[in-house]
Amino acid sequence: MKPLGKLVLRPFLTILVLCGVLLAPAGPRAEESEAARAQRWHDLAQAIFGERQIQEGTGVIALDAPVRALDAALVPVAITLSGAEPIRAIYLVIDENPSPLAAHVVFGPAADPHSLKLRVRVDQYTEVHAVAESAAGVLYETKRFVKAAGGCSAPAGSDDPAALKDIGHMKLRLVGDVAFGRPVEAQLLIRHPNFNGMQMNQLTRQITPAHFIQSVDVSYEGQPVFHLDGDISMSSDPVIGFGFVPKDKDRMKVVVRDSKNAIFEHSFDIPPEGS
Amino acid sequence: MTWRIGALGFAALLLVEPRVLANDPAHAPEPSGFWTGRMLGPVPATIAGGRVIHTAELKLLAAGGGIFLVDVSPSPHKPEGLAPNAVWMPPPHHDIPGSVWLPDVGRGAIEPAYDAWYRARLEGMTANDKTALIVVYCHPNCWASWNAAKRAILYGYQRVYWYPDGIEGWQDAGLATSVARPELPPS
Repeated sequence: MKPLGKLVLRPFLTILVLCGVLLAPAGPRAEESEAARAQRWHDLAQAIFGERQIQEGTGVIALDAPVRALDAALVPVAITLSGAEPIRAIYLVIDENPSPLAAHVVFGPAADPHSLKLRVRVDQYTEVHAVAESAAGVLYETKRFVKAAGGCSAPAGSDDPAALKDIGHMKLRLVGDVAFGRPVEAQLLIRHPNFNGMQMNQLTRQITPAHFIQSVDVSYEGQPVFHLDGDISMSSDPVIGFGFVPKDKDRMKVVVRDSKNAIFEHSFDIPPEGS
Repeated sequence: MTWRIGALGFAALLLVEPRVLANDPAHAPEPSGFWTGRMLGPVPATIAGGRVIHTAELKLLAAGGGIFLVDVSPSPHKPEGLAPNAVWMPPPHHDIPGSVWLPDVGRGAIEPAYDAWYRARLEGMTANDKTALIVVYCHPNCWASWNAAKRAILYGYQRVYWYPDGIEGWQDAGLATSVARPELPPS
């Protein structure tokens, strides 16, 4: 009897499943994609953090990103840390990018670790995760959904020589007035095409070989402000916003290394000359 | 007099290309050939020799069947020089169910062999019926689908529909997508 029962049931089940698929309104489908996104993050977290548990980060870390980005090759992301827990490092993950770990930033003693701003590429609609690692080694996560597409294969510019001109040039801008002993937001601009190896040079028909920033080290008064491990998900000509406390008239030193083993160094006066 | 002719000429131009002269920042004018500039950015509102369709119409067409859906989204190439501990995990590519995914046939310039392969692939799927209805798409504001649709038009297909809303436009309407595998020419 059992095999017969199965035979009779199967077509009905098939029909039910088909109807479900055909008639399903947006609701269940949204749940499906929700499940797919959760699975993707689960897989990525496994690849990046292994078996470590990640806590919900409300009250510790906040992430701001545009819901719909104007330029998928240049999506601004701002991470804010409340200070409720001393934070050692931040991981920024663009879930649906082929190379999802966009940046890993480790703060040094000269940092004021309350905010971090970066610009990233977004290849398709994605959740963006920011994970803070506390001094005690606890991980806290927060996320945003960003609607942008095509940022990874977007050519950096019309032609490569122009994009490579002035490579390694840097600028440092301090936001607002500088007062010794008071935290200030700094913006570091680095001229670099950050070719991700997926962009097409439309004239030569060739894929522009990958050439990207691997690390950025910023120090102040000889003490590290932060160390950033970058990847191809960072935008070209990166702009990094970070906080530090100017303590004395001294210099801020920046060292950038790229995937062709080029090293670019620059020192800036704090406060800037003439201010 | 000169002013009058100028004004008349201007009015005539307005009738021909209202979008271009209205200085519509959301759309680019149609290039004469293929677009070889930045792939991501404002695309035209039209495609000469073909038709532009949007989600509502495509939904009906797809439900009716008998159309050929061609997704030309680029596929990720693993770059050289990634750190050994870098996480390289391209996500599954989702597109409109029933599509064939032919990455890169929408480049501004493609190798002759690649061009021939795209042509042959279209001939194969349509049984060389030049009146077959072909829908070409990728992402919003992505020139790849415009270029690939243009190619199909130049191959002689008479019913080439360009769907500029792309995969994201389809998703935004709450419509289902499915996981696709890229088809590449035999090397």
